[in-house]
Amino acid sequence: MSGPLIVGVLVAAGVFLLLRPGQLRLVLGFVLLGHAVNVLLLAAGGLHRREPPVDGGGAESADPLPQAFILTAIVITFGITVYLLRLLRRASRRGSRPPETWDGGPR
Amino acid sequence: MILAVVLGGQFLLAAVAPVLTWWLGRNAGYVLAVGYLTGAGMLLSQRPALLADEAIILNWPWLPSLGISAELRMDALSLIFALLVLGVGAFVMAYCPRYLSPGSRHTRVYVTMTLFAGAMLGLVLADDLLLLFVFWELASILSFVLIGQDGRSQARGPAIQALVVTTTGGVALLVAVVVLIASFGTSDLHLILADPGRLATGPAWAAGALVIFAAITKSAQVPFHFWLPGAMVALTPVSAYLHAATLVKAGIYLLMRFSALFGGRWPWDLTLIGLGLLTAIVGAVLALRQHDLKALLAYSTVSQLGLLVSVIGVGTPASDAAAILYTIAHALFKATLFMLVGIIDRQAGSRDIRALSGLRRSMPITVTLTVLAAMSLAGLPPTIGFVGKEAIFEALVTVDDVPLLGWVAAGLAVLAATLTFAYAARLVHGVLSGPTRQRELHEPAWSFLAPAAVAALLATALGPVVALLSPMVERAASDARPQGPAPYLAFWHGFTPALGLSALTVLLGTLLFWYRRRTDPVLAAIPTTPPFTGYLERWRRALVRFGAVVARPAQVTAPAPYLARPLLAVVALAAVAALLLGPLPTRHPDATRPGDWLVLVLLLVTLAGLVTTRSALAAVALTGAVGLILAVWFLTAGAPDVALTLMLVEVLTTVVVMLALRGRPGRLVAPGRRVGIVAGIGLAVLAGVVATAATAALTGRRDLSPAGDWYLREASSATGGQNLVNTILVDVRALDTLGEAVVLAVVAVGLIGLARPAGAVPNPPDAVRHAVDPVLELAYRVLAPVMLVASAVLFLRGHQELGGGFIAALLAGTAVGLGHLAHPAGAPLLGRLRGAPLLTVGLLLALVAGLVPLAGGLAFLAPVKFPLPGVGSVSSALLFDLGVYLMVLALVVAAVRRLDSAPAGPAPGPVRERVR
Repeated sequence: MSGPLIVGVLVAAGVFLLLRPGQLRLVLGFVLLGHAVNVLLLAAGGLHRREPPVDGGGAESADPLPQAFILTAIVITFGITVYLLRLLRRASRRGSRPPETWDGGPR
Repeated sequence: MILAVVLGGQFLLAAVAPVLTWWLGRNAGYVLAVGYLTGAGMLLSQRPALLADEAIILNWPWLPSLGISAELRMDALSLIFALLVLGVGAFVMAYCPRYLSPGSRHTRVYVTMTLFAGAMLGLVLADDLLLLFVFWELASILSFVLIGQDGRSQARGPAIQALVVTTTGGVALLVAVVVLIASFGTSDLHLILADPGRLATGPAWAAGALVIFAAITKSAQVPFHFWLPGAMVALTPVSAYLHAATLVKAGIYLLMRFSALFGGRWPWDLTLIGLGLLTAIVGAVLALRQHDLKALLAYSTVSQLGLLVSVIGVGTPASDAAAILYTIAHALFKATLFMLVGIIDRQAGSRDIRALSGLRRSMPITVTLTVLAAMSLAGLPPTIGFVGKEAIFEALVTVDDVPLLGWVAAGLAVLAATLTFAYAARLVHGVLSGPTRQRELHEPAWSFLAPAAVAALLATALGPVVALLSPMVERAASDARPQGPAPYLAFWHGFTPALGLSALTVLLGTLLFWYRRRTDPVLAAIPTTPPFTGYLERWRRALVRFGAVVARPAQVTAPAPYLARPLLAVVALAAVAALLLGPLPTRHPDATRPGDWLVLVLLLVTLAGLVTTRSALAAVALTGAVGLILAVWFLTAGAPDVALTLMLVEVLTTVVVMLALRGRPGRLVAPGRRVGIVAGIGLAVLAGVVATAATAALTGRRDLSPAGDWYLREASSATGGQNLVNTILVDVRALDTLGEAVVLAVVAVGLIGLARPAGAVPNPPDAVRHAVDPVLELAYRVLAPVMLVASAVLFLRGHQELGGGFIAALLAGTAVGLGHLAHPAGAPLLGRLRGAPLLTVGLLLALVAGLVPLAGGLAFLAPVKFPLPGVGSVSSALLFDLGVYLMVLALVVAAVRRLDSAPAGPAPGPVRERVR
């Protein structure tokens, strides 16, 4: 049950940060959600086999496919984090004015 | 094949139109006209085969899984409509160059009109219901674009109105298509039409009503006739082409095509006859009271289309032939009249009947041509309009569904024709009579007049030699409805009842015109637009308001209300899933190790600190700690590559966030109100529980996956790599990796592009800018070379052992980040790296590695071994990995350079770089 619980606490913390005000919390919340998904992927491969998947690893070798997914997912999460930071900085640099609102009424 | 060439050629013409206008300006229209005529000629060359009762067919499987094929089929009926589209199109294209003013935006007009011609061509050639629908909608949308072309405010309302009406019809057509496909089990149009008996009564009623609805919206029949006159705000060539000759004929084509299926059932027939005659009269009455020539012609089109609809309802071979003949006639003379009105408007500066006077002296040729075309409209001999109207009278007399109905129908048609005669007479009177007021007026250039002149003469000359058209029209009539031969078309039928009706029309029409002063007040009292135009507009506005209300919750500035809804949806989804979930396989007993609990406890403590802290620095550090704890866990879970990558990414993320936070407040904003906190905790706990439950339910309940099993057994021998994770990334699933690397590249491009400095951040004083932290500086000097060497080693050995492009690039990126921290003004060596060139080289390398195997006949990105002196051999996968390496490094470099919130002083390097 350790895998599911790790996913759960990460999601809970990530969601809480997302829902709080503040741009930095938003970014960090996304990072935590990214972690949660990575753990989920690894759990999907099965946590009962825990030897590194190298050639000739034997019967305990872990499933290499989720690991490959996670590897790219980590790097992409990094990319998204960086991009998010950049967007938030750009928004704050334009001053504290909220984004343009649309009153929604007919023209 | 020829169909694909002509249809494709039309879209090709649209594609080259911008080049033509760039080269020839507005004269590009002449080249386009030649293109249209070429297409028409190619189609016409198939005439012998069509007359021999064959059809030209092109079949290309489009969506084979759905059984939909892009099937084109041309029979005589399709040919006639296709020739109208291309022929009238050629006239209008040849007319455009002199109509458009030299400085206007011709490119858009030419491209959209040519695209529209392609859509119409596809519509009449389509032999698959869905294809037909696609072209139908395409024509509607292009018509909207053409009406609203120049973006004037008075064009917006009519354009939207036309779009709303015609796309409502489009939706009806879609439903009809679905009903028909469901009933017949095929979307093949000619198979459906060949077997009308298979349609049960219920679906027949539904589909028939929907087809009629679609057709009358497109052909502007009562009660949807109001959009067409509104559409006259478009350019005159557009009106001539779309709203006289082609677009509105789409409805006529649809009704003719489907008469094979629905015709002969009395609701279909009587609806068409009734609706058509009603429209014919209403349109003619409204036309009679217009002073604007273009509006007069618009209402006249409504009226004439009504006449056509009613004749289609009659359903005899003779009536079908009459409808086809009159479609040709109407397209010819109406497009001509529009072109001539455009010329008069251009020359005289007005198209108001009351303002025009005495043009017969200043513009005799234009006026003569107008009279000829108006004679066709009024149905006077010897024009083609006369032959067509005679045929219509003859067809209507034969209606016998109800006793005497034929004579009632013919009487109503005579009434419509009388009104038509009267407004045609007004038109002629308007341009002919009166004293010459504008003495400086003169004939337009012959090149302006030529297209209209040819069309007008054609419409007149075709009357006496109508027998030439006869074989094709007869063939088309039996294509529309196979029920025996149509009578031979002839100019002179002898003294028939129809001739009597024609004479009656002329007599009554003349009287009506003569007493116009007495009838004018009566006509003026009729409202032009029916009251529900207002209802339609109000309904549309209400719909827009409703949309705004629905969207309002999303129009908030804080992210929390946005994010709360998808999160709640996830919780709801999980609840539904829990209810529907059946019994699950048992969990694997051995999935948890004692060390996991330690990791969990560490995580809980760190996360608790993270969600409660108010210090930005602590939050960033604690997030990094979470990543490192997870990296350790990944290591124990048999994923060393993942662990190493995560560790490096955590370091990098921390570096980048710290850079972004430099010079900004060290405290996080207050956590908000208590209610919000409680709600946040509630949602967070719910989401956590859902995530735990879902992970527990959906993972860890089976042994190794088949794919994983294959990789463990085969991947190494198949690729020559020992590190299976890396072989998956660069060999087996290299295409995925390429896609992911491109995502990173896009992020990097975004960073570079977004970084136009706003200059809002005040630069710190020089002393601060150039300050170099001695500790960091030393660390950079010592560590950077080690990191770079380690990066190279990790990269080179990645295929066999722990390492690979991603990991190696992240390590090198860390060195870059360290360098930037130590030397904000630009670190020696690594500070010179730039994102864009790295990105370009990386992407090119990855693509080359993918394309090289193609040359050898292998798949894209298949690994190829090259001999290399000294090493043995090297795989092209290594080249690919190098591309990935460079792209990841580019992202890190871009991030480090662009996110630094304290812009450094003058950097070494060209000034241009500073500005970017």
